[in-house]
Amino acid sequence: MLRRRLRPRPFAIAPAWYWRLPSLTLALMLVIIVALVWMTRHFDDETQRETLINDVLWMEQDLRFRLDRNEEQLSQIGRALLVGGDISAQTNARLAQLLKPDSGLVQILWLAPDGQVLDGRPYATDDVLVGEARGAIPSSETSRLARAVGRGVYGPTYPVLGNNWRFNVHVPIFVDSQHAGTVVGVYSLQQLVVRELPWWFSERYRVSVHDPDGNEIASKSKVEAQASHQQYTIPFDPPGYGLTLNVTAYKAPTRWVPVLLISAMVFFGGVIVWSLWQLRQHTMGRQAAELALRGEMSFRRAMEDSLLTGLRARDMNGRVTYVNPAFCRMIGYSAAELLGITPPMPYWDPSEMERTLAIHNRILAGEAPREGVEVRFRHKDGHAIDTLIFEAPLIDASGEQTGWMGSFLDITVQKRAETMARQQEERLQATSRLITMGEMASTLAHELNQPLAAISSYGSGCLNRLEEDAPNPSELRDIITRITRQARRAGAIIRRVHDFVRRSEPKCINIDLNAVIADAIGLIEPDAHKRGMDIDAVIFSRPLPVSADPVMLEQVAVNLIRNGMDAMREVRDRPRVIRVETFGDGEMATFRVTDHGQGIDAGAAQLIFDPFFTTKDEGMGMGLNICRSIAELHRGRLGFEPNPEGGTIFTFSLPYAS
Amino acid sequence: MNADTAPLAHVVDDDEAIRDALSWLFRTRKLPSATWSSAEEFMAAWKPEWRGCVVMDIRMRGMSGLDCAELLRRNGSRLPIIFITGHGDVPMAVTALKRGAFDFIEKPFDDNALVDVVSSALEEDARLTLQRATREDTTARLDQLTGREREVMVLILAGKFNKVIADELNISMRTVEVHRARVFEKMGVRSAVELAQQLTVAGLYNSVAPAEE
Repeated sequence: MLRRRLRPRPFAIAPAWYWRLPSLTLALMLVIIVALVWMTRHFDDETQRETLINDVLWMEQDLRFRLDRNEEQLSQIGRALLVGGDISAQTNARLAQLLKPDSGLVQILWLAPDGQVLDGRPYATDDVLVGEARGAIPSSETSRLARAVGRGVYGPTYPVLGNNWRFNVHVPIFVDSQHAGTVVGVYSLQQLVVRELPWWFSERYRVSVHDPDGNEIASKSKVEAQASHQQYTIPFDPPGYGLTLNVTAYKAPTRWVPVLLISAMVFFGGVIVWSLWQLRQHTMGRQAAELALRGEMSFRRAMEDSLLTGLRARDMNGRVTYVNPAFCRMIGYSAAELLGITPPMPYWDPSEMERTLAIHNRILAGEAPREGVEVRFRHKDGHAIDTLIFEAPLIDASGEQTGWMGSFLDITVQKRAETMARQQEERLQATSRLITMGEMASTLAHELNQPLAAISSYGSGCLNRLEEDAPNPSELRDIITRITRQARRAGAIIRRVHDFVRRSEPKCINIDLNAVIADAIGLIEPDAHKRGMDIDAVIFSRPLPVSADPVMLEQVAVNLIRNGMDAMREVRDRPRVIRVETFGDGEMATFRVTDHGQGIDAGAAQLIFDPFFTTKDEGMGMGLNICRSIAELHRGRLGFEPNPEGGTIFTFSLPYAS
Repeated sequence: MNADTAPLAHVVDDDEAIRDALSWLFRTRKLPSATWSSAEEFMAAWKPEWRGCVVMDIRMRGMSGLDCAELLRRNGSRLPIIFITGHGDVPMAVTALKRGAFDFIEKPFDDNALVDVVSSALEEDARLTLQRATREDTTARLDQLTGREREVMVLILAGKFNKVIADELNISMRTVEVHRARVFEKMGVRSAVELAQQLTVAGLYNSVAPAEE
């Protein structure tokens, strides 16, 4: 229960960045991954392009080198062909050597200085025989140009059968500065490009040759490379004439590992985002629940705090485990002072300690009265509080009783009002009795005064007459007769009063003295408690049958007890207890009232039963007088003696009922 | 004196024995009395010219003594009233005294003391009656004096000689003597001393002759 007193830690609402930071970091990470991937790819592309360019440059160099070497060979062989007359076996071997497929040459022709074809190897092929290329082979234009510049000149390309393109190289042969003829090498573009490239190159790149119009006239592969893909174009010179060599890289095979890695990263990133979102949903749910709980909590707390009824919980051992503010206010102790304490509680009324403890034990034993029990507590500042307590078992969630829950109603004001009302009524009754008595006395005095005054006046007149010299006896006799009449009148008045008094004689019934005294104690006990005094009742174990007027007896008992309390009013140094006992001997039933008050001094002891004698400011001085009259009416005795412990003992005895 | 103006002690009490006893007591002291059984009866018979005094119980059936006294006073009676009070009526009696009652006697009373009180009440009434009569007579006589005569009278009462009076009023001695004789004649006196006595009895001396510095 103690923990309920603890305030819940203030719950800080998470700032926005609290949730944004992971998302933001995650997004940044993803961006960086994407950038990394892009950069990697870009770098790859760059590398690829560089390789491409290198490869292309290498290829170009390679081609040029071969073309140059072929030209050189053609130039050397041409001399042998054109000058020697017959073709030696050596020359034939060299021709065959030249026409090997890796040289790119498909035909070699040698021309006379006038352009006449002398011979060729292979002399004629089908594809030479057909097509428009016939006129151009060997093109006299090119031949002339070659003879003019004195070195090898490449001619334009021309198509031949089979979607093939060829070009020629014319190498003029000079012998002793004399033009001896021209050797023409016929290149097949297809062969040159296709056959001459190494395998690794053609595997990586598609190589194609384009005419100036952009038409592809030869290609290494029929497989189309993606147009957007990396490619590199360089002029194909020689032979020139606007030919271009186009190298396109095949798409590199997808590299699965990085893709998988990246995919995995993206996937896990997604998972993180998703789980974050889930977590956030969950937390928000929790927050909502917590908020609701807190609302409920504060509502309950407000309810408890604003209750006017005091609440207090105790465990099974009677230890205080919870108190609400109303209870603290009621008894003036703080919750910290009360929690954990065990009986006797500091707020129990010291003068009612035993009774309170008995009630406490009864409650713990499970005998709490359903209609509540009235207990007097003492506020921390000392004033008394009357409370009405309702106790109920405290059952926990598992259905087990863990203690007791008590609710406390402050009924001090009601009790005080009750007491006041009762006192008011008593005072009113006393006053009305007093008024009645006063009026009766006044009437009596007036009525008695009349005859007495008349008698006095008659008497004085008689004396006046007797002082004269000659009193008239008959006159005096008449007057004395009147005096007698007035005296009788006074007597009648006295008798009337007597009759009146006799009418209020006791109405005796057989009754147990114990019961009467118990009733009287019950009547006066609240007053005694209010004045901070205790009544110690010792009732005789056997019935004490008496013949008496119970109202009168009760009046005597109340009167004696109240006198005792008045006597103890100033007492501070000893317990303010009045002992009331009843007992019986062989002849008389007796009740005795023992106080520990100031006692009665010798002077007062003489007068104590006299009417109108009182030691109290507001007293009438009739109490003990009436008490003794009542005792006499019941053939009983009222006496007193000093209490050896201080104070006075009054003893009222009356005979048993016959 | 006729029956109505003879001084009487009027005993008003609702108790017959008291009435009878008081009237017997007064008789033994030679005081004439009349008895009335209630205030109402007394008031019905009352006449303004009645003289004497009233002896009345404060507490009576019917009209109370105090109410009766009030009624008498309002009707212009100047009869002295003596209240007889019972037990506990003293505060009432004191109130009555303040309102002009002559005295009160508490029951049980000393009878001869009561008679003495009644006697003095009767004397007081007689004195007052005489004074009232003298005053009426004297006032009538004073009214007959002329202005000059009144001036002369005042100076005579101051004990001044004729010559001094003549000087003060700036008239001749002879004239003063004439005025003096006139004043004495009109006032029905023979000397200045008698004049002063008459005015004193009438209770008018101070108003006529202001004390000199």
